Amino acid sequence: MRKIIVALAILLLFAAPWIVSAPFFVHLMIMVLMWTVLGASWNILGGFTGQVSFGHATFLGAGAYTTMILYLKLGIAPWYGIPIGGLVAALIALPIGFICFRLRGPYFALSTLAVAEIIRLVALNWESFTNGPVGLLITTLPDVTFRGESIDWENKIPFYYIIAVIALASIVATYIMSRTRLGAYSLAIREDIDSAEAIGINTVQTRVAALSLSAFFAGVAGGFYAMYFRYIDPDAVFSIALSVEMVFIAVVGGLTTVAGPLIGAIVLVTFGETFRQIFLVGHLIFYGLMMMIVIRYLPEGIWGKLRRWFVARE
Amino acid sequence: METFVQSIVSGLLTGSLYAMIGVGLTVIFGVMRIINMAHGDMVMFGMYGAFLSITFLKIDPFLSIVLWIPIAFFIGVFIYRFLLKNIVPGGELNTLLYTAGLSLFIANLVLLIATGDYRTIKLKYAIMPLRPFGIALPIPLTIAFGMAILITVALYWFLVRTDTGRAIRATSQEPEAAALMGVNVDRTAIITFALGTALACSAGVLLAPSLYLYPTVGEILVAKCFVIVVLGGLGSVPGAIAGGLLLGVVESLGAVYVSVPYKDAIGFVIFLLVLLFRPSGLFGVGKS
Repeated sequence: MRKIIVALAILLLFAAPWIVSAPFFVHLMIMVLMWTVLGASWNILGGFTGQVSFGHATFLGAGAYTTMILYLKLGIAPWYGIPIGGLVAALIALPIGFICFRLRGPYFALSTLAVAEIIRLVALNWESFTNGPVGLLITTLPDVTFRGESIDWENKIPFYYIIAVIALASIVATYIMSRTRLGAYSLAIREDIDSAEAIGINTVQTRVAALSLSAFFAGVAGGFYAMYFRYIDPDAVFSIALSVEMVFIAVVGGLTTVAGPLIGAIVLVTFGETFRQIFLVGHLIFYGLMMMIVIRYLPEGIWGKLRRWFVARE
Repeated sequence: METFVQSIVSGLLTGSLYAMIGVGLTVIFGVMRIINMAHGDMVMFGMYGAFLSITFLKIDPFLSIVLWIPIAFFIGVFIYRFLLKNIVPGGELNTLLYTAGLSLFIANLVLLIATGDYRTIKLKYAIMPLRPFGIALPIPLTIAFGMAILITVALYWFLVRTDTGRAIRATSQEPEAAALMGVNVDRTAIITFALGTALACSAGVLLAPSLYLYPTVGEILVAKCFVIVVLGGLGSVPGAIAGGLLLGVVESLGAVYVSVPYKDAIGFVIFLLVLLFRPSGLFGVGKS
């Protein structure tokens, strides 16, 4: 039963652009999947190890800038740039992890916020490298032929397939993590860090590994962001608001669950983007509201609750 | 030398307002262990309050504070009683996430109502700065400084001299012992939260004529606020006052002697260093 549902979901994922092809819906689905990756990224750290980060925009920004700069300065195509961006983000996560994981609970959260702000200010002012507040712009993407046809980058559908593959990878990675030692260690740390330490888990190493994996996916999503919007600036990709949105997607969907980030992204992004179409501003109002409702009434998140309900029925 | 004195003075002026916001956050943390991510939005509230007073009621922003302090107090009572009270027992991280949600909600509500336009408040008497001893004192910031000192001193007197103030300090030190001594911890929590909100809001009213107003201004203010209270030690009122003044001076010295673009980063770097090496604050009085 479960296998059939998963197979159907994957089929639906790849068939979706044929079912609804209106540009707004394709854009909406791309956004949902991009935020799924970001939510999954945050969930790998925040859900499994219980470390609340308010600075994940750092990794998104690192990925976005890596992809952009590699393409603009060295001519390396974004499809190589995106995974490289993920790796750069994962590397940046190492020193950040070793510094910030000396702190616990809310203090860790505040330190990630500070690190993210410092990095945003550096990106804003290091003009020779990042072009400062003006940002970076791609006008054309390089030609690629797929099955003898050249891909039309003005169409959104190729982007849809790229992000669908990335989103699938992030969900599979979450699933694998939940089944491996890293996942088990992380859960032990989330439940009680002192006991985890006492039974011989290297808590710093485990948390840094989780942060790195998490940063990799945020970086990949950042690379995709740069390629899809073709424009980035420090306030767009390094902002506190982005970090906070990632937290919300993961928490509202359901922490520590595999499908939670997808559900969180479907609920929040669909509403947010539709709201943005109508009112132009203030689309995050629903994020805030949902967050308050979820923390108060559904501490396991929407998917966590639904899953429990399904299990009870079986 | 003159630039040095000038930047110390302007640092202290801004710092006095930072201190006020920081004191609000720190008393709330001290009594309820709430890291209030929506604190910056309360400041934003005050800023828009001042803007409304001058545009619609034609009341001078500095006078309108008499109106906004009680309103903010009741908003605080409402937020705590109906939104936060049931979340607090869930632990610090839960309240952190919850208030982050609240903050996003408030900021976006204001964004919808007031739009994202940058607004300014122009005061008729604020054209030229005063120049005693050759040091420039912008008039709105100087008035704000004076009022911030008055309010902070009044609060300090309240905390030290009145029964309610003693109850707040007792609960902050040891909630269970305070409850055993007959302190109504629930009521103390409500009063403290309302007091913190009123402080943030009145700092907003005072800051409004010197800053740009926009709905998401709380985001950067709350980040600064954390720097302040961690510098002074979380939960410590004198610490927050010192931390606020220190951050103001560091920022304004940084702008002159390091670089204007990086002045905001200096605060965050100090913040990280303090968190890592002196987690109970520079003066060693905070709680971790």
